[in-house]
Amino acid sequence: MPVGRIPSASYYDARNRPGASLYRARQPYLIKNAITGVVIVAFVAGVYSFTIRAIGQDDFSDVPIPDAPIQGAAAPHTTAGVRSAGPA
Amino acid sequence: MAAPNLCSKCLRQALRYSLPSHVSRRTFAASATKSPSTERRLHQASRQRAAALEPQRSTVNEPLPNTSRGQQDKKDASQRQSPRVLLRPNNLFHSYTRSPSPEIRQRAAFIRQNAYCPHPDHQPTRQPTSPFDPEGRKTVEAGGAQQPPRHVSHECPDCGIPVSCCEEHFVDDYGSHLEICDMLRQINEDDHDLVSGRFFPEFEYPGVQIDEAQVNLTNWDTLLYSREFHAVNEDRPMRQVTRLLTYPITVGSVLHELSPYGLKDRILPEGLRSLSALRYTLHPPRSGAGIDVKGIRPNPPPMRLFVLGARAESSLPREVWLQLAHLFPRATFHVILIGPEAMANRDNEFPLPERTPANPFGAIVEDRLGGQMKISTYVEYFHTLHAAQHFYPYDPYFDCFVLFHPGLGHPASSHEWTETLPQLLETKVPVLCTGYTEFDMERDIAWVKEQAKGEADLLMQAGENRFRSLRWDLNDADPGDVSCGNWGVWAFRGKRYEADEYRGKREDGDGSGGWEK
Repeated sequence: MPVGRIPSASYYDARNRPGASLYRARQPYLIKNAITGVVIVAFVAGVYSFTIRAIGQDDFSDVPIPDAPIQGAAAPHTTAGVRSAGPA
Repeated sequence: MAAPNLCSKCLRQALRYSLPSHVSRRTFAASATKSPSTERRLHQASRQRAAALEPQRSTVNEPLPNTSRGQQDKKDASQRQSPRVLLRPNNLFHSYTRSPSPEIRQRAAFIRQNAYCPHPDHQPTRQPTSPFDPEGRKTVEAGGAQQPPRHVSHECPDCGIPVSCCEEHFVDDYGSHLEICDMLRQINEDDHDLVSGRFFPEFEYPGVQIDEAQVNLTNWDTLLYSREFHAVNEDRPMRQVTRLLTYPITVGSVLHELSPYGLKDRILPEGLRSLSALRYTLHPPRSGAGIDVKGIRPNPPPMRLFVLGARAESSLPREVWLQLAHLFPRATFHVILIGPEAMANRDNEFPLPERTPANPFGAIVEDRLGGQMKISTYVEYFHTLHAAQHFYPYDPYFDCFVLFHPGLGHPASSHEWTETLPQLLETKVPVLCTGYTEFDMERDIAWVKEQAKGEADLLMQAGENRFRSLRWDLNDADPGDVSCGNWGVWAFRGKRYEADEYRGKREDGDGSGGWEK
């Protein structure tokens, strides 16, 4: 294998960061790619937020809640005529 | 050497480090791309000079040229044990006359003997070639042209190139020198960089890619990246490498189907017709061809590129010309270099072959370049070959003329083209031209328009070439004249009279062929 100074031939430097030539090669597409990325993320975020809202709890604030039932007469299980047969 | 498990890149790197250091020395003389090299072999990594390593003798790879230059270097290397002068990257600016490199000192001597001082007080020595030419200032009406012309000897301390005959004239004319001083300094440093003895990874050209690999022809950086060149991070190696590559890549960038020039850009409808015909050959549909008997398919003839008026481009290293073939994976090429100066800087290849009935013009044919390209060199004027019908018939699907800075309208060389131009127009094959500057190109276009008398169609409007050389070159006969190779590109073709559907009278006068912008 080669010994000594190895010239830089790769588009990434020794720490795997993109080199200057790679930045220059990407440069015509930076703005368009950034906008495309933002659009995709916005779409995903939009779908997510819509879904979460759609499956959330319903809002029943416009439905009138009836009053609590009145305790007392005409409730069949509270008359005294019923004889229990003892514990079953 | 056991290399069954090494990939080709690692193998090349390993070979590079085991080559002896007396490898072919590059000398870049005068103002054009010249690399005197007898090497036509592909797998030759001998462009590099191993900078700081001792020469290791390797028994495996001795395909080095045994030319006189190689043997001289061998003797030198064995006689003197001291290492070569190595100019560091921060030590590249030297005055030309006191340069550490003998080649540059020789150039300085040439400049001093041939170039004239541009100060208006001297009498003019030649016709001014453009309105910006400093020779145009040497007129009696402007108060100059009193003294006889003198050669330059005084060097500018900032750029190191002799530009004036004496210090008084230099100081007097400093304003106009300041316009190009920075460029001259850059040229100075680049020239010293070439002789500095450093390692040149940028001159390692990649080979073929797979068919499906797309090439991006937007600009130099995307091209080098998509063609898998080695990374060129600095500006100086970028300048050095584009200076050579501009010749094949300019042609490739116009002819390729992914060309950055289109109808919306600079191509005219007639141009699209010619280019579509050529692209039909250059990008053929897959035919199911293979290497076995079942894969035999009829192959079309090669695409012929006639490089007329070839000077420096004929001495380009063949790996550089092969880059054109690598842009088009399924097409074959025949590059024909024609011109009286087609053997410029190729002294090792003399004498030319004998003129036999099989080779009536004594052409040098190089066909061992890998099977995709063949390069022929004819030291003749094109009108001679055309009159002899040597290349007949011309087919607009296979042929293209390429003229690199032909100087069609230049007063010194336009007379040589008067006989060729009507023949080019009669072939109806596209002619791609480049130019040193915008003024140069406009002059060429005006000349062609005038000479053709309506028989020519413009195919591509003149403009800056995306793949021009990024390096500026110095003209040794006139240090004030800096030019860059293939600055601009345009194309024309003989007018074809074809029956077409009548679409009513056109108000924009399109029948003139698109010459007006």
